[in-house]
Amino acid sequence: MTAALARPVAAAAPATSRLGRIAWNWRHNPKLELWLAWYTILVFYNIFGIVFFVMTRSQPPPKAWWSLPRMVQWFADNEWGLLVGFGIIFAMGAFATASTALITYSIRRMSVSPAFAYTYLILYSLAAVPGMLLTCIALVVGAMRLDRDPALMGSLYDMGFIAFSGTMGIFLVGSVIWAVAILLDTNRIFPRWFGYFNICNALTEVVVATCVIEKSGPFAWDGIISFYVNMVVFGIYTGVFITLLRKMIEREDFTAGSPLSQHRRPHAI
Amino acid sequence: MAEMQSPQSPGQSVNGELLLLWSLPVMGLLWALAFFTFPGFVQPMSPALTADQVAAFYRDPHNLPRIRYSMIVFNWFGVALIPVLALIAMQMRRMAHHTPILSYCFIGCIAGGPTLFSIATLYWLMAAFRPERSPELIQMFNDMAWVTFTSQVGFLVAQSVFLALAIQLDRQARPIFARWLAPFNLAIAAALVPAAFAALFMDGPFAWNGILSFWLKNLAIALWMVVMGCALGQAIHRQRRERAAAA
Repeated sequence: MTAALARPVAAAAPATSRLGRIAWNWRHNPKLELWLAWYTILVFYNIFGIVFFVMTRSQPPPKAWWSLPRMVQWFADNEWGLLVGFGIIFAMGAFATASTALITYSIRRMSVSPAFAYTYLILYSLAAVPGMLLTCIALVVGAMRLDRDPALMGSLYDMGFIAFSGTMGIFLVGSVIWAVAILLDTNRIFPRWFGYFNICNALTEVVVATCVIEKSGPFAWDGIISFYVNMVVFGIYTGVFITLLRKMIEREDFTAGSPLSQHRRPHAI
Repeated sequence: MAEMQSPQSPGQSVNGELLLLWSLPVMGLLWALAFFTFPGFVQPMSPALTADQVAAFYRDPHNLPRIRYSMIVFNWFGVALIPVLALIAMQMRRMAHHTPILSYCFIGCIAGGPTLFSIATLYWLMAAFRPERSPELIQMFNDMAWVTFTSQVGFLVAQSVFLALAIQLDRQARPIFARWLAPFNLAIAAALVPAAFAALFMDGPFAWNGILSFWLKNLAIALWMVVMGCALGQAIHRQRRERAAAA
């Protein structure tokens, strides 16, 4: 087992052509697994943005104060976008776990207890079900039968948007766990200011709580506080952590003799 | 980053793994039993049924107990796939990778599929709970159940792709899983994708009772369990032989 693992990490220089470089990296780049996860995150968030903001028009969200006929009208206006767009999410939405996995890896590289990493992994494995998929399911069930009783359409509409904005605890506790790990870490895997930024992200989940009570105004799910402030923080936060994860991968050192090369048996990390 | 105690240090007993492994065929039998008991599966219910026809399905005194008992069994044992997926994750940790990232990806997917299946059984049980409810409400619960059951393939797709990558990148003389299981897992993932779009169609191969969204998807999942169950059994037995030889 150990002998089989002891393959050379350094190899001949990559070819000059683009295809040749990709082939070389596939074969020899010791960071391949990390880069695959990173590019998966990039692809996922781009598709997520296109589906939620462009195809389904479910972000920015329609109004919480609309009348039942107006809600039904919203389903009718976006019928195909909802059915096709959320079909795409149903097919590939779970690739978001690449993000969870890479962040879990980052926490495992910190000087804190592995319990932080496993807490993060488990919390965010749960996140997609109430925070994204229940929303998509409710809105798809609404869009598939536009002649359904309007009162039921209104329930599906509320279920969709309350599940989306109202799934708070997972992201609240998850961000705090990541923040505490970063602030305690002496290996400096992430800069300290990003630890504080995580607290900011956690606070948006506190502020958004009013969306399960208010039907109009700044604190409703479509309001200036509960949606726009939240979305701005979350958008910047996501952009920043994707960049910081990239920097972390670039810094990782798998060359022979480095500490990480001693841990080529993966369960040692 | 202190060196951790290897979970597979020589001499450590792994008894119990075989128990979890052999739970798969037992559970497979129970799943098959529940599948054939539920009257909505053998002749998959059409999404084109009217609200009154859906209500009549749940009000039929011949159907009602079979709906309830099959969904109770599914609710009990649908999640019993998780121990087998955990065993696969254990084998992924033994692969010749540089990082544990692919096994983290796989572990991140394990709970999602069974959780969503469990939620689907709840919607079916809610539809059956008070069949005297208005047909529109019964139809809505029935829609929620079928859409959740049929279209929620995402976690299975992602975990198959992550497993395929892990097998492909397991670069050692004797890989943990045979190399052909990488394209096999990709093919299974591809076979599951059409079901994600089931809500777009009221009839035809993509509808939730259609040849792609129902039969191809469910047969692909069954085939995956049989093939990966066998591969997992081989890997675990080989691991035990190697450990016995080393001891």
